Amino acid sequence: MTPLHFEELYQAEWQELEGLLGRMLGRGREAGAAQPVSGERVAALYRRACEHLAIARARSYPAYLLARLERLTADAHRQIYRRRDFGVSNLKQLLLADFPRAVRAHARYVWTSAALLIVPMLAAGLLVYARPELILSVVSADTAASFERMYSPAAESIGHARTADTDWTMFGFYIRNNIGIAFQCFAGGVIAGLGTLFFILYNGAFIGAIAGYVTQRGFAAVFFPFVVTHSAFELTAIVLSGAAGLRLGAAVLAPGESTRVQALVGAARESVVIVYGVAALLLVAAAIEAFWSSARWLPPPVKFGVAAACWIAVLAYLTLQGRRAG
Amino acid sequence: MLDTAVAAETPEGIVLELRPAGLSARFYAFLIDWLIRLGVLWAVAMVAQMLGGLGTGLTLIVYFALEWFYPVVFELGRSGATPGKGVFELKVVMDDGLPVTPAASLTRNLLRVADFMPFCFGFAIVSMLLRRDCKRLGDIAAATLVVYQPRAAPKATLDMVVPVAPAQPLAPRDQAAVIALAARAPTLTVERLDELAALAAQICGDAGRSGPEVTRRVLGVAQWLLGRRP
Repeated sequence: MTPLHFEELYQAEWQELEGLLGRMLGRGREAGAAQPVSGERVAALYRRACEHLAIARARSYPAYLLARLERLTADAHRQIYRRRDFGVSNLKQLLLADFPRAVRAHARYVWTSAALLIVPMLAAGLLVYARPELILSVVSADTAASFERMYSPAAESIGHARTADTDWTMFGFYIRNNIGIAFQCFAGGVIAGLGTLFFILYNGAFIGAIAGYVTQRGFAAVFFPFVVTHSAFELTAIVLSGAAGLRLGAAVLAPGESTRVQALVGAARESVVIVYGVAALLLVAAAIEAFWSSARWLPPPVKFGVAAACWIAVLAYLTLQGRRAG
Repeated sequence: MLDTAVAAETPEGIVLELRPAGLSARFYAFLIDWLIRLGVLWAVAMVAQMLGGLGTGLTLIVYFALEWFYPVVFELGRSGATPGKGVFELKVVMDDGLPVTPAASLTRNLLRVADFMPFCFGFAIVSMLLRRDCKRLGDIAAATLVVYQPRAAPKATLDMVVPVAPAQPLAPRDQAAVIALAARAPTLTVERLDELAALAAQICGDAGRSGPEVTRRVLGVAQWLLGRRP
């Protein structure tokens, strides 16, 4: 059989496959895109094209023929084996089941991460409360002064570094800053967990030191009603992103029966689900922090009440949501 | 082996060849993307300035989105490449040559922070220089590759040459070499073209000879291989 004969014989099949692939990609709208593409037919034609390519290669057919078949099979391969994992279309499934399930599957890492955040937080808080000058070993004098201004009872709106800042400005700031920190906590895990360890410990100590300092200055009545609501989302999110990062670190350090790279790929695939949820939690936290927590006119009892509800809701969501199969 | 090509085999036994992109191409692509991001951010900040506090908040949110999701949006698009990568004909694919998945794209872009450590993309540069497939840490964890987009086969435009049937069956590599020679023919001097064609003279039964006639027949074989017939 000559190459020309071969081409003539199977041309029609290749053209049909090219047409079907084009329709799957949404090209050629006008040419009968109404009928759905038959997956069975595409798969059958794809296997045929693979056979033809193998034959053409074995017989050293002309390069233009090989190039055409290579392009055709590569295009079909991309369409047939396209993976759809955790896409935007699965957002509902993610929030209703995948995210809380992933958190529970990583319970060990979550508890470790929580301890790594809370222990330095308490330690730094108590230390700075007892000896306020220690705050200067965590932040500069200017920063300490600005925190004092932010939570002083004289401030018009709580949590604003400068009086000119509006709630919207702070909303943008919280999104950029806080979600960025969470992403860093996750990413740092790939360096044998060291990055995650650093970010979690540092943030714990930082938050604790500020809280201790502000309390010592006598602003507790402003500070705690401010932080208590959004911290339900924010602290949880930081702990969870730390847990995801620790998972990466554990995969690098103790890959078990797979190679280090395989373990890392698997760990990243499973723990990135947590990072999706973390981003959502921090989006909620930013909105609450900017528009609810900062409101002066809300009496502290209302804020504590809402805060309790938020904490219970977040913890119940993470422990109970998506337990039933389906 | 100096070749850095990575072979990805499909379940049907067809081998796809991927050519990972090196450090310099990826660095320049990153630089272009960085400048684009800077430009967009600057434009948004200019407009947002007029909106006061709301504008500042908006600018910060745009900054955040550009910082983390600019590459993700483009990688999940049809081209699989950011504009910077597009300039250098690069694209992001999975290890097996399939289009990059949302989870993998997000993973590799979140881990860019780790690649940046300890300073100035230190880990990324070391990792890319050490690995044959030029992956940075984010690519390793996400199981992705940055590859050159497959180029269309060179088009020989020597329509005045009469197609000649080859005197012997040619392996795909030899065919590709002959077609590549035909594609380069217009850019070569006549003498150099004759020299190169003489090396391939045996494919048209002229082994050992050289000259314009041999060159014409070699190019004729290239025409034949491209499917043209007298």
